[in-house]
Amino acid sequence: MQTPLRIDPAKVLADIATFQRKLAAGMGYLRDMREPEYANTPRELVYSEDKLKVWHFTGHGKTTAKVPLLIVYALVNTVWMTDLQADRSMVRNLLEQGEDVYLIDWGYPDGADRWLTLDDYINGYLDRCVDVVRERHGLDAINLLGICQGGAFSLCYTALHPDKVKNLITMVTPVDFHTPDNMLSHWCRSMDVDLFVDTMGNIPAGLMNYVYLTLKPLRLNQQKYIGMVDILDNPAELENFLRMERWIFDSPDQAGEAFRQFIKDFYQGNKLVKGTLEIGSQPVDLGLIAQPVLNIFAEQDHLVPPDASRALGKHVGTTDYTQLAFKGGHIGIYVSGRAQREVPPAIHQWLRQRA
Amino acid sequence: MADPANDFIRDYQTLAQQSWDAWTRQFQQPPAGNPFAPPAPAVGNDTLERTLAGLKGYFDWMQAAAAGGAAQQPTSDWRQQLQQLFGGASQPFAQAFGAIDSAGAEGFVRQWQSWLQTARHSGFGDLPGTQGPTPAFGLNREQQMQQQALAAALMASMQATARYQELIQRANTQGMQRLQARLAEPGRQIDSLKGLYDLWVDASEEAYAEIALSDEFREAYGEMVNTQMRVRQLQQRQTEQLCQQLGVPTRSEVSSLGERLQTLRREFRASQADASADHADGIMALRRELAALKRQLADGQAAASAARKTTSAKSAVVPKKAPAKAARKPNAVPGTSPRKRK
Repeated sequence: MQTPLRIDPAKVLADIATFQRKLAAGMGYLRDMREPEYANTPRELVYSEDKLKVWHFTGHGKTTAKVPLLIVYALVNTVWMTDLQADRSMVRNLLEQGEDVYLIDWGYPDGADRWLTLDDYINGYLDRCVDVVRERHGLDAINLLGICQGGAFSLCYTALHPDKVKNLITMVTPVDFHTPDNMLSHWCRSMDVDLFVDTMGNIPAGLMNYVYLTLKPLRLNQQKYIGMVDILDNPAELENFLRMERWIFDSPDQAGEAFRQFIKDFYQGNKLVKGTLEIGSQPVDLGLIAQPVLNIFAEQDHLVPPDASRALGKHVGTTDYTQLAFKGGHIGIYVSGRAQREVPPAIHQWLRQRA
Repeated sequence: MADPANDFIRDYQTLAQQSWDAWTRQFQQPPAGNPFAPPAPAVGNDTLERTLAGLKGYFDWMQAAAAGGAAQQPTSDWRQQLQQLFGGASQPFAQAFGAIDSAGAEGFVRQWQSWLQTARHSGFGDLPGTQGPTPAFGLNREQQMQQQALAAALMASMQATARYQELIQRANTQGMQRLQARLAEPGRQIDSLKGLYDLWVDASEEAYAEIALSDEFREAYGEMVNTQMRVRQLQQRQTEQLCQQLGVPTRSEVSSLGERLQTLRREFRASQADASADHADGIMALRRELAALKRQLADGQAAASAARKTTSAKSAVVPKKAPAKAARKPNAVPGTSPRKRK
């Protein structure tokens, strides 16, 4: 049999030399490089409460949408993934399409937020944010764009406050938490969450990040950084890489009580699709969502498997349900070149048809 | 007799190692132009540590490959060549999977090991309870029982962590088997270390994913987390008891205050909402009353108008009769005047 390994020793030495050279070239860039900034699309603060802030984006084209769009992000990581850098900003692209965009920045919980429940987040914070935007525009209902866990929150909110939501968009949102390929759900089902939260209090961001890295340990702990060596001599690409690293690891702790509920009711109990979920003693029935729903998910999502999102179509009550499968991953759906071209225009078109 | 080829490799390795060390040293120096800036921390910079650890593992592997298997001409026994590339001197690389629990779990294990060692060095021998629970009595009974519970929890946690690491090691082994299977596919040709590395990552991640989604892994993972939490909880309890003796507020006390405060905030908001609802109900009742009055008024006006028409008609026949009083008063409600009813 012919050997599949035809590695030329001279090429090995050349590869090592190249690796060294790139490291040396990148050394200067890395040492002198400042913390990369996010896109920071111009925005104004319109509401704040405790640690959360509601931002209204300004500029970048004329707003043509009559109904504003409020982005509801997850509690894990920060909302700035939606406005990462100038040429990779979902927010900026939505503005350029003519949308009027608001977003909720949940902030960084600390010990004072240890006892915040999902009821506090959904029927409290989120409801008040929606009211602020409604009042600013003199509207009964606005459009919601929920992302990941924020999508699950938006579903609960729409079911509980249907009069305040005109159209609902969910992105990479887990709905059925018990699909066979959901590794996170699989792992936490044998966890004693009460013991975990009672012991840890708030859940540290570092621990959350560590768990995410262990979903693909070799790719995320080593291969990614080996790939980085190839761009060490390219300051622009290196800056993009470091910006993404900043976003990944600059993440908030999780309020203990909300975390406990989310793991028990969503990940372990799968109550959202079973119809047994209660938020603040009020039952959450997805069947009551009669608003138009656009559900966008990523086909290569390792955090929220596509089937976990697709399940929404079977449980939501609306007759106006649209599904959009994006060829990419959980992060690529915001920042890849394809995402810039496909996702914001799709959202805008869909909303315009339902204005 | 010296082997010139090996000397060359050795020299190159030394040079490369020096270069690497210089790079990492320089990377941790303050930025140029700011000689007074404090040096970047050698520890605690998560990204830097992770980046360097990952790169170093790969770099060491390339070096070992250059010195060993890959620095030979292709042989027909590629499986042996593969063993050389991924075994022996390349052990740190082969254990890349094992390192995934270093950041979190290893921290726990080290902490507990040092806890145990401290107890031993302090003349306690093994912590009470590590050999099984023993009855305690006397003034320090509670402390002894707590120590025993902690020791038992430590042991349980170490066992659970070992079980988890065993599964990680299995993923590592199966990753290698999958790599061999992929290399054995007809037409497969690998001509660079990077190509081999990428194929190994693909194969290993596949093996890991399969194990990570198994019931066995789920149980082991849950047990590892739960036993770690049990240890931490017992440690916290002991720490809090010490704090109480010293008059230092404990986390439980602060947390309890936080819980009460949050409950109060909820009640306050709910009462505000109730008050708004009460006001809204009051306003709604007033509106209903006003609407009823308006209706009555409108009815009255209509009746008065009708009465006026009737009166006018009668006046035409009997011109001397005086017009009805109510008809002259726009605000009067017809039918409410006793005199009129008379």
